[in-house]
Amino acid sequence: MELMPSFRFHRPTSLAEAVGALTLDPHARLMAGGTDLLPNLRRFLARPGLLVDLTAVEGFGSIQKMADGGMRIGAGLTLDALIENDYVAADWPVLREAALTVAGPTHRVAATVGGNLCQDTRCMFFNQSEWWRASNGYCLKHDGDRCHVVVKSDRCFATYRGDLAPALMVLDAEAEVIGPEGVRRLKVAELFCDSGANHLNLHAGEILVAVIVPAAEGWCAGYDKVRVRAAIDFPIAGVAAAICRRGSRLCALRVAITGCNSAPVQISTAEFDKTDWDTATAEAVATAVRKSAEFRRTSNVSAKYRRHVLHAITVRLVERLWMQGSSLTVR
Amino acid sequence: MTAHVPKNGKIGIPTPLIDGIEKVTGKAKYVADLPAAGALVGRILRSPVAHGRIISIDVAAAAALDGVIAIATGEDCPVPSGVLPICEDEYPLAREKVRYRGEPVAAVAAIDEETAERALRLIHIEYEILPAYFDARKAMMPGAVAIHDYKPNNVLRECHSEFGDTAAGFSRADLVREKTFRFAEIHHAQIEPNVTLAEYDAVRDALTLYAATQTPYYLHLAVAQCLQIDTSRVRVVKPFLGGGFGARTEALPHDLIAALLARKAKHSVRLCQTREETFISHRGRPETEITLKLGMTREGKLTACHAEVIMRGGAYASYGIITILYTGALLHGIYHIPAIKHDGWRVFTNTAPSGPQRGHGTVDPRAAFEALMNEMAAELRLDEFEVRRANLLSAPCTTMYAQKVLSYGLPECLDKVMKASGWAERRGRMPKGRGLGLGCSHFVSGTSTPKHWTGEPHATVNLKLDFDGGITILTGAADCGQGSNTMVAQVVGEVLGIEEKRMRVVSADSALTPKDNGSYSSRVTFMVGNAALQAAQLLKKMLVEAAAKKLEAPVEEFELSHECLWLPDGRSMPFNEAVQLALVDTGTITVRGTFTCPPEFRGDKNIRGSAIGASMGFSYAAQVVEASVDEITGKVTPHKVWVAVDVGRALNPLAVEGQIQGGVWMGMGQAMTEETAYDEGRMLHANLLEYRVPTMLDSPDIEVFIVESIDPNGPFGAKEASECMLAGFLPALMSAVHEAVGVRPDELPLTPDRLVQLLAARTGA
Repeated sequence: MELMPSFRFHRPTSLAEAVGALTLDPHARLMAGGTDLLPNLRRFLARPGLLVDLTAVEGFGSIQKMADGGMRIGAGLTLDALIENDYVAADWPVLREAALTVAGPTHRVAATVGGNLCQDTRCMFFNQSEWWRASNGYCLKHDGDRCHVVVKSDRCFATYRGDLAPALMVLDAEAEVIGPEGVRRLKVAELFCDSGANHLNLHAGEILVAVIVPAAEGWCAGYDKVRVRAAIDFPIAGVAAAICRRGSRLCALRVAITGCNSAPVQISTAEFDKTDWDTATAEAVATAVRKSAEFRRTSNVSAKYRRHVLHAITVRLVERLWMQGSSLTVR
Repeated sequence: MTAHVPKNGKIGIPTPLIDGIEKVTGKAKYVADLPAAGALVGRILRSPVAHGRIISIDVAAAAALDGVIAIATGEDCPVPSGVLPICEDEYPLAREKVRYRGEPVAAVAAIDEETAERALRLIHIEYEILPAYFDARKAMMPGAVAIHDYKPNNVLRECHSEFGDTAAGFSRADLVREKTFRFAEIHHAQIEPNVTLAEYDAVRDALTLYAATQTPYYLHLAVAQCLQIDTSRVRVVKPFLGGGFGARTEALPHDLIAALLARKAKHSVRLCQTREETFISHRGRPETEITLKLGMTREGKLTACHAEVIMRGGAYASYGIITILYTGALLHGIYHIPAIKHDGWRVFTNTAPSGPQRGHGTVDPRAAFEALMNEMAAELRLDEFEVRRANLLSAPCTTMYAQKVLSYGLPECLDKVMKASGWAERRGRMPKGRGLGLGCSHFVSGTSTPKHWTGEPHATVNLKLDFDGGITILTGAADCGQGSNTMVAQVVGEVLGIEEKRMRVVSADSALTPKDNGSYSSRVTFMVGNAALQAAQLLKKMLVEAAAKKLEAPVEEFELSHECLWLPDGRSMPFNEAVQLALVDTGTITVRGTFTCPPEFRGDKNIRGSAIGASMGFSYAAQVVEASVDEITGKVTPHKVWVAVDVGRALNPLAVEGQIQGGVWMGMGQAMTEETAYDEGRMLHANLLEYRVPTMLDSPDIEVFIVESIDPNGPFGAKEASECMLAGFLPALMSAVHEAVGVRPDELPLTPDRLVQLLAARTGA
């Protein structure tokens, strides 16, 4: 039987109460679906004294279409509910596409949008039992002082492997965060930093409350993910892209990747905006992607393959979106 | 012998498993579910090093901890165990040396999990690190440090055999090809983690073990041996079991540790293992390298075969000698090959011990063989079916390895899958990126030599009949989900013409049931089925004799069906009345049916190793796989499998179909995604996320065709029905991939990264 560290469990009914609880205990951890956190706790990858369960907070799992055509998704919305939502299916199908690739159906009933975004980074030297890590001298990310991926490194290279983040990033979504200082908004891309041991730009006591997705009219967006099995697996490499096309002209392009760096990465694609699409464009986009991606020995799938396949699926994805984009009318 | 012909509608009819309702409603009690109020919690301390000498073990601090009741170390068990009497080399808790990372070194029984866990942290062990070998070839190199003193060169068993003249065979071939294939180590990933509940009776110094095992009898022997306790004071019970597949066919360290702790604590101890620990106990299919050479005539006839097999066996012998012998033994018995040479090495390494996973010893060599056969067929512009048909056996026959093949449904299996898959019309004309491939395979219906030779029958079944008219079937057979409890009830019901409700199956409890060697080598349906058949016939005779006396009719005229005994003139007697008459003067009736493999089926004493691969019946399978390849990601998707299996007779077509699908599916896992991975001996795969068993989305439709060759020796003609179809998937997929994208894989599993490498090599990129 697998033990868990002992903790106190608090189930607030309001965000204010939740923030208060977090502020009192800096080592407290938030929990919603628990699909990422609980397996990690069973491996003693964290020993929080307090778990703050957000599932009783009113409205935390709501989803609303807004007057400006955008959408507000509560961080507590389950991935299953996101997949089943009609607005999402009609106007932001890339979110449905990405959510459908997460784990399996039983996970998605519990797992939430916020939890998926904030999920911990992963590494084959980290996601192991306490016994395993102890026999390997632990690691920089937790309990130890050395990195087994890049020996002599003073930073952790654990990989971010969430599927929703790149999809939200290419939709130019924003994150709404509440904390002791009040509410603030930032781009989803700014929620992350490329550091395996500390990949979230959240201050003490802050909670991700919602993501706000602007109207995506005129954009054609998609997500592609490579994994060994057709379900369950985290991405070996994942790429989301959004294209705004007018005739043969590429008005704007956004690309974001996951499964490589310690954070999802928005690729700088300004050079492609307002250019004419030609046969080399997709390759050029993929090259830009590959230059931003960093592959380390964090999983037992070789870095060489991950690099290769990220390039290949990027080409395939942007070509597909370019073709799809031709049928969109831009108003 | 000729097979009995069923006529009562109990045999050959799709029959839901008699314990199926309990399983699907969650009522079934597995070991971890058994009530054991007050049982202590057992936990194991495992070696953090892969190969080392134990300098010291200090348990003082742990022993002083409140709530710790007992601590066991290697000192508590000076007797090793091992399923093969000739290589008992494994102590439940390491003594002097540790040989793989994760090997149990100490264990604690405590009042709760937290205390047990704290106690483990207080045990201090000092190791002298020795060089460790994670690769068979490195372990075999001259100068390598011996993992076991009894095998200084780290080779557990080297075997060499040649039948016929292979040199002559190759020289008269029109095409000779040699190729090296590599197969990753795989694990069963059975859903129920390892667990044992040990109860100790201090008054009698007696132990009862409730264990998740396929071989309660071997566990019984090992517990008695290791604890130096008389076998009469041990009882082993196997409750519901959540899968075996060969993972649980011997006493595993945790079973013995639970017993050691219980005796030392003088208390019940429950030892539940984590998923990681379940992986660490391994006993799965070893990493195997095979260099195979085949000779073939222009017409596709095989002229000679030479297989060189190197297996990374892990740190202990387990079934290793048998595994390596099987790699040679089952080159025989499927095709007519005039000359076969085999060289095998089963090597000790500092990894978890491997063992007899489903398709024991034959899967990797069979896959290599069929793959090379397909490749050579293509080179000779012959069809894959054509080359099989050019090499068929004609049964009955005896192989060069002394195997007797009395029934052989492979030709019909080939016909069935060729037609169903549309092979003739579709093969060679598939759309780009899609292909079809063929693979054949076979397996034994029970090994005809038990691991412990005692002279007893291979199987015994008791039937108890009492005043209530109920029949209790007592069998030692360990139902591991394959449905052996249902099978014995069907056999008895068929012979006696009675309904399932009248019977009760009590199985795998050494206090109640006759001994059985266990559920391995696909022996149970054949051997236990035959014993059940004999027992039922004896009981039938007693009932008929009682009825014949009353009705004044000759015994040979009675037919039993529909819970009655019938005479041709229309007179009948209800079953219960016959029971009452039969009990007069005798009281409760107990009959015993047995089955023994006749000596002529046990191999040839003049052929070394031929006891392995000897069986009374061989099952055969042919399968066609349709698959596609995504050239961008390298991902292979199997879309459809057509599989035909000669099972002799399907006693229960519902269970047989399920077993066949499960076997194909397990082959698919090995072919597509499953493999272990180590970092300096540390398992990187010891969970169900990194050890990738296929998901439902990865699983193709599997269309099953049952072929019934009616084996003369099987119960009602039945043979093995759950192992032989596994191997064929691998080469069939490899061939389908070749048709799809033009590459010939030589390393499995065919994960996307491996396929991308092959594609890159094809284009020279």
